[in-house]
Amino acid sequence: MFKVRFCFEKRDTAAYLSHLDLMKCFQRSFVRAGIPVKYSQGFNPHIEMSVVVPLSTGYETVCDLCDLELTCDELPQGFVPSINGALPRGMRVLSAGKADRPVNQIGYCAYRITLPKGNENAMSALFDSPVLVEKRSKRGSREVDVRDYIRDLTFRTEGEKTVCTCILAAGNDPLNPMYLVKALKSAGLTPEDATAHYLRTGILDQNCQIFWE
Amino acid sequence: MNETIRACLENVRKPARYTGGEYNAIYKDKKDVDVRFAFCFPDIYEIGMSHLGSKILYGLLNSMDGVWCERAYAPFLDMEAEMRKRGQPLYALESGDPVGEFDILGFTLQYEMNYTGVLNMLDLAGVPLRSSQRTSLTPLVAAGGPCVYNVEPMADFFDLIMIGEGEEMWPEIVALYRRAREAGMDKQAFLREAAKIGGIYVPSLYDVIYTEDGRIASVTPKDTAPAVVKKRVVKDFDKSYYPDRFIVPSTEIVFDRAMVELFRGCRRGCRFCQAGYTYRPIRAKKPETLEKQAKALIASTGWDEVSLTSLSSSDYPHLETLCESLVDYFEPMHVSLALPSLRADSFNLDLVQNIQKVRKSGLTFAPEAGTQRLRDVINKNLREEDLLEACKVAFAAGYNGVKLYFMMGLPTETDEDLLGISQIVRHVIATFREYGKNKARGVRINVGISIFVPKAQTPFQWLGQISEEEAQRRKQILMDSLKIKNVTYSIHNYQTSFLEAVLARGDRKLSAVLVRAWQLGCRLDGWDENFNFEAWMQAFADCGIDPAFYANRELAWEDILPWEHISSGVTKRYLYSELEQAKKGIATPDCKAGCRNCGALSLTGGGRCDV
Ligand code: SF4
Repeated sequence: MFKVRFCFEKRDTAAYLSHLDLMKCFQRSFVRAGIPVKYSQGFNPHIEMSVVVPLSTGYETVCDLCDLELTCDELPQGFVPSINGALPRGMRVLSAGKADRPVNQIGYCAYRITLPKGNENAMSALFDSPVLVEKRSKRGSREVDVRDYIRDLTFRTEGEKTVCTCILAAGNDPLNPMYLVKALKSAGLTPEDATAHYLRTGILDQNCQIFWE
Repeated sequence: MNETIRACLENVRKPARYTGGEYNAIYKDKKDVDVRFAFCFPDIYEIGMSHLGSKILYGLLNSMDGVWCERAYAPFLDMEAEMRKRGQPLYALESGDPVGEFDILGFTLQYEMNYTGVLNMLDLAGVPLRSSQRTSLTPLVAAGGPCVYNVEPMADFFDLIMIGEGEEMWPEIVALYRRAREAGMDKQAFLREAAKIGGIYVPSLYDVIYTEDGRIASVTPKDTAPAVVKKRVVKDFDKSYYPDRFIVPSTEIVFDRAMVELFRGCRRGCRFCQAGYTYRPIRAKKPETLEKQAKALIASTGWDEVSLTSLSSSDYPHLETLCESLVDYFEPMHVSLALPSLRADSFNLDLVQNIQKVRKSGLTFAPEAGTQRLRDVINKNLREEDLLEACKVAFAAGYNGVKLYFMMGLPTETDEDLLGISQIVRHVIATFREYGKNKARGVRINVGISIFVPKAQTPFQWLGQISEEEAQRRKQILMDSLKIKNVTYSIHNYQTSFLEAVLARGDRKLSAVLVRAWQLGCRLDGWDENFNFEAWMQAFADCGIDPAFYANRELAWEDILPWEHISSGVTKRYLYSELEQAKKGIATPDCKAGCRNCGALSLTGGGRCDV
């Protein structure tokens, strides 16, 4: 028995996979790659795996984590390349190792949001005073100040785009980066019909250090 | 993916349907490609990706040097709106390139309710709808699939149509296309050459003349076109091309599993069933071949289920040995077998339990009609005793539910036949009460009732569908009689079946109606939530066409059928003799009891059927 944790990216066409789609794609790629996965007991046996911090459909990531139970006692030789030969386009495993650190130590995620160019200074200024949004969760929706969830936030111009980099709360009470864009839109700082592009760049612990590598 | 496609995907449901990039999707370097082929499925991704024939042709065309076959599906309404708003034309999933720039667009016609989908996809691709409006050689717009046995309502839109199995025709068409392009042939010259290929139907090479009352007066072939286009079949089905990998969808589809095809054709001869006649002669694959193909597919896809498909799986001669060896091989890999289309009279519990070791699914039987008399008329040679016996065995083994499929509006049907449906259901419940293993859990019976649609190239092709008033009356009888505890039922929508009947026996005059209906917003008509019957009726009225003329009229032996110049191999005389037997209430024994010379073997130049 070995619990492996691997870091993966999901980009371009693969960004549009939902969380469930992603799990299924991984499961099939394990089978194709001949990984000795452990199946649960019971009526409908399934592969024991979990994607550590779920990501919204349409978002890209270069740093997500997945935990998987194997029947062998150590990481199989060639684990990373064999999965990579069996994944859909846009998905790639970057590294793998022992799933040692408990996931409840995750505190934050870093994102990069790309927007149409303009208003960087006004955008930064918006977050100097309370920014209230209706935040939805499994338990219903409530009004929050997004600033309570932000550890770091910058806006700058990159070529023809405005880029926002931010560190937002993850874990029990996480903040989806779309709430920042919502706030910008209701403040009129980016057009209502603008397309925002989201990329997750890091999964961090409570001290804002890389959680696992 | 370009920026415009990305922007569209921001605002649609299930965007993974529109991205491509799935495992085993084929990507080629454009500089090695001289023929760009777009395989177009006029329904949404979830349906199109579940279709076996498309997978075979995708693999086959991509196995050819210089040919890149990509896919396009009908976008759902939200995606279509985004595409039109942003000026994004229909694109192929692999390259993202506009389909309108391809050399060949190949549509598959699975179902009449997809016809407006073809028009909508052509329009989204920026390709003129009618063959006559497309004067240059490219893009060629072609079609194949089960609807080609009467494709007349769609005849104006396609340059050429494949009658029968595409495995051999497509390579020949691609080769001819290359020659035509090199020789600088124009489209007309190309089509005249294409019409010489066996199984290729070029609708523009036939003149259709109508009588004053709208019937067909004559169909005259021009130039090189044969008087009758005969269905093309692969001679050696066992050795015919079969892909060793299928595209594995990254998102949910209807049939998300590997498939192997046990046999083509069907020996039963149910008189309402178009596939039962048009897929003849009966040709089976060897069990060794199927085993090899199933293993290769599971290895290359990682799927956890293999379906053994055919029109009537229990008729496959080597079914038990095949299943046994597949279960032995796949069970340790957590791969299950699915065996759709089982018949109640050859129900074998050991077999079903064996294949369901890995996963348990439900039982489904299709008696089709409520009385033995009517089952004899439609030649569904299934006795109630056999059905009840199958239920008894299954209930005793612990099953506590069954799905039963019936039809209403069948030829000669009486109220007594309709009441027979609830009789059967009651008998099934009584069987459970007597033999059920878990009586305390109760039994669940699910009854699905569709409305009979007369189809071309079947013995019932001459008959009309019942009228709407009559359908409502019969539906009421069913609704009253099926109010039974533990029974749920669903009755198919009459209006959809009516339109299906119009198109199934329609002629070329209907192409104007199709265009009009599409202009009025009809598309994805197979989806109840989109089906707009009023718009269809408006389209018929605008074109001055009475739909009942097609749906409800009974044709005579002397009538020229709109599809008379297309042959499935089974002769018109044979079909008519089956109709006469039906009217007398006499069933025809299945082909296992002896060949009835239906004519299908003329397609393979003799031999015999695998029964
Ligand atoms: S009637 Fe004869 S040729 Fe026709 S399907 Fe049956 S066995 Fe084959």
